[in-house]
Amino acid sequence: MEGTAVAVCEILKYLIIHWKCETAGVSKGTLLEGQLVISIEALNSKHQTNTLHCVTTIASAGSIYGGLVLEKFLKEIQSTLPGFSAKLPWTSEEASSSQDISGVAPFQMTFEVHEKPRILMTNSLMIKDFLHKIVMVHPKIRFNFNVRVNGILSTELFGAKNEPTLNLSNGMALVVNYQHYVRAKSGTTEFFCSRIHPVLGPPVVLFIPDDVAGVDLLGELILTPAAALCPCPKVFSNQLNRISSVSIFLYGPSGLPLISPSREQPPTTVLKDTFCFIDWKKYHLCVVPNLDLNLDRDLVLPDVSYRVECSKEDQSQNMDPQGQTLLLFFFVDFHSGFQVQQMELWGVHTLLTTHLSTILMESHSVVQDSIEAAVDQALEQHHQAVKAHQKLQASLSVAVNSIMSIVTGSTSSSFRKSCFQALQAADTQEFGTKLHKSFHEIMQYRFLHHGSCEVKQQLLPEKNDAEQSTEDAHENSSLEFLAGTSRQVTNKRLKKGRLRHGVEDTRAFHSARAPSPSEAAPRPAEPTVTSLTPSRASPGSGLEDALWLQEVSNLSEWLSPDPGP
Amino acid sequence: MAFAPVGPEASFFAAVDQHRASLLAALRGGGAERAGGGPRPASSSQVLASIENVIRDIITSLARNEAPAITIDDRSSWENMKFEDSVGLQMVSHCTTRKIKSDSPKSVKNFALILKILSMIYKLVQSNTYTTKRDIYYTDSQLFGNQTVVDSIVTDVSCMLKVPRRSLHILSTSKGLIAGNLRYIEEDGTKVYCSCTTAVAVSSNIQGIWNLITDAKFLLIVEKDATFQRLLDDNFCSRMSPCVIVTDWENGVRFMNGCGLFRPVVCIVQFFPQSVPVFYHLKLKGKGVPDLNTRLLVKKLWDVFHVPIFTLVDADPHGIEIMCIYKYGSMSMSFEAHNLTVPAIRWLGLLPSDIKRLNIPKDALIPLTKRDQMKLDSILKRPYVTCQPFWRREMEIMADSKMKAEIQALTFLSSDYLSRVYLPNKLKFGGWI
Repeated sequence: MEGTAVAVCEILKYLIIHWKCETAGVSKGTLLEGQLVISIEALNSKHQTNTLHCVTTIASAGSIYGGLVLEKFLKEIQSTLPGFSAKLPWTSEEASSSQDISGVAPFQMTFEVHEKPRILMTNSLMIKDFLHKIVMVHPKIRFNFNVRVNGILSTELFGAKNEPTLNLSNGMALVVNYQHYVRAKSGTTEFFCSRIHPVLGPPVVLFIPDDVAGVDLLGELILTPAAALCPCPKVFSNQLNRISSVSIFLYGPSGLPLISPSREQPPTTVLKDTFCFIDWKKYHLCVVPNLDLNLDRDLVLPDVSYRVECSKEDQSQNMDPQGQTLLLFFFVDFHSGFQVQQMELWGVHTLLTTHLSTILMESHSVVQDSIEAAVDQALEQHHQAVKAHQKLQASLSVAVNSIMSIVTGSTSSSFRKSCFQALQAADTQEFGTKLHKSFHEIMQYRFLHHGSCEVKQQLLPEKNDAEQSTEDAHENSSLEFLAGTSRQVTNKRLKKGRLRHGVEDTRAFHSARAPSPSEAAPRPAEPTVTSLTPSRASPGSGLEDALWLQEVSNLSEWLSPDPGP
Repeated sequence: MAFAPVGPEASFFAAVDQHRASLLAALRGGGAERAGGGPRPASSSQVLASIENVIRDIITSLARNEAPAITIDDRSSWENMKFEDSVGLQMVSHCTTRKIKSDSPKSVKNFALILKILSMIYKLVQSNTYTTKRDIYYTDSQLFGNQTVVDSIVTDVSCMLKVPRRSLHILSTSKGLIAGNLRYIEEDGTKVYCSCTTAVAVSSNIQGIWNLITDAKFLLIVEKDATFQRLLDDNFCSRMSPCVIVTDWENGVRFMNGCGLFRPVVCIVQFFPQSVPVFYHLKLKGKGVPDLNTRLLVKKLWDVFHVPIFTLVDADPHGIEIMCIYKYGSMSMSFEAHNLTVPAIRWLGLLPSDIKRLNIPKDALIPLTKRDQMKLDSILKRPYVTCQPFWRREMEIMADSKMKAEIQALTFLSSDYLSRVYLPNKLKFGGWI
């Protein structure tokens, strides 16, 4: 990881851990909510050619940093970033004495560094990915990321406040909008269930090998894996879906990405190898590491990625080449009988970023069981969906062929004529094509769209107090809908100066093109979803999971032999 | 009849003759034959037009961007049934319907299979050829899954198009056997002579048989083919001559190793594809319903001769159910009740009251299962039971005793008690209800 990116990420990690510890005593389990601003001001260096003098500012208003001891913070950050040459001066000493209307001092810190333009661009992309990863489990934190290069400003907002989520334990909620993980297939978006349906594996306690312990932990590390297919397996297309890739996301305590602080190590090496934990052969998946991870995209970047090689069977079955992605989330949390101290969490994070593979290997068997339990369930959904798709196609084919047989075999010209006229077909061939198309469209639309997971989720019963966060989201969404105005702009993504979701912006690194009206228009409000809090004792037992399992059950019923007409 | 063996003296049948006279009187009093209802044989062009209408409706729905559905009268609800003593169970004229939707995961396959069978019927009618439900199943057994799916769809299509099964050019495989004083000519000219010692398979084309001749005093429907066979072995038909006995082997358990097991049974293997060895290891479990051709034959014999018809069934809810289907029809075939039911049928045995009357040992009895009790309760609630107080009484005896008995229970009294004592006495003294 490069200098500025490492510094920003480590500072943010420290601040969020601090924030988490501060709020844990008050309202354990609630989602962190607040806004942080990260700004990089880069100007051509007067002393070195082709170099930018970068001033990075991290700021926030409100109570995020209540109780933060600035000297201690500075000391610990500097100890974490030994090779980091920039200073971390407080530039708002005056500001600390002036309090905002809430009575809490705003926070602001600045550091400076000289970097090549290309390095700065890479750093910016890494920071963006880091921020994106955080909001995937802390949807109520908003990051405002500004980069101004020689006066040209690029602004991007990260947040997922109004997006559908699956509540996890310990104040985290996984955003389940599939568009964060894979690109939408062109032309079929309207049929999509826009969510992933993560299945949690049973939580397992991780043992720390003696030789890597280093710190005395007064608690235990617990891994909770989650698996989901993306897009939702209920999404049908003309082609069968195959699993084409595997993406693994690693999260440590406090829902922070496990990114190595080492400047030399690329960020994807915290977990080197998953072959020890998942028997890919069991799932008939031939996976090969995918090293071609492109930071410059608007998807959240996996920590580990695999490409699934296409089998001969897949090729022969006209499988969709784009396929589905198996998403795996490893949430490693730290639990203690006492209130966890900030430095303890900081130490656990450091431990995990350097020794995750070793720690997982120590509990190899239970880790594998837990991960595979989640994957088994996720793939069961996939297999059910594939079977349902095949059955639908078979029924469609039988219906169409039977009608064609009657129409083409009829000696009644008036009957044939009326059929052709109804579908506006000139001849038998065109009639057959239109018949198949009509059937396919209607059937797919009816019970793939209307039977989608989202429709059912809108019919959820009232939520309980524990789901307050979602109620808020729902309420916001409803109000926005009623007002008919633009919603709170979240997760506005700017890529290569391309304006999305109507955010005011200028370009920084790349030449910008003027946004088209359609691109500039705010998106309609996302359907808001009830989040769920699966119990640790019974993973995947939330209401959303129940609905999803109901879907799978329906599929099973649909796949089971007919009891007879 | 010249071939008729010598039976008992004429006076033996006094009660039977008297019963027949009362039946004929009732017929005359009721305006001769009941008015015809239900589906009538349809011409080929009518069947083709009906199928074309179904297809046209589907295509019109598609053109309107609506998911097509096939509408069928709902024959699963008692609310759609009416009971007439002279006909049996019939569908009400404005019954509720059920839709087989194309846009429902649960019904899309059924929707497709109905279209598949419609297309097959369309071709059969066009080419004036016939097939059996079993043949249809074997055209794509993987697609249909099992035979009952085909059976059910064929019945649905018959109801939907309002034409009898035969007009669809689908024959049901005959599972019935007949013996006794009867001869007739089949549609293709084959002369069939039933005898008192050998059984003949019931024709698959009952509508086509003609020139029926019999001197039978009565017709006995036997629930089980094993009992039927035992009666033949005991020369029951000869000793009770002239009579006709019939059975429907679907209601018994039969193991067949080729056609030879039943002596000159007409081999119906011709209805099965050569490649399917179904006939050679056929095991038809009990708990079936009377097969269509046997019902049609019984109905035809009644319509032509008006001879008294008696049933010999197990004294259990299933036996009563079979008898009720012969007499009053079933819900699933209620749309064709006029062509199938024979309300003149009487219950000869085995009556639950016979168990006590004959001191059948308790060892020969079987406790009613929960399923039996549920079945019995359901029969007792049916509309036709109200006009059969003696039947109700027998069923209440069964319910009170919580026991059932098979016909074979009579063998505990004597091995030939059934054919030599029980049935002759019942016939002689009018022991039917």
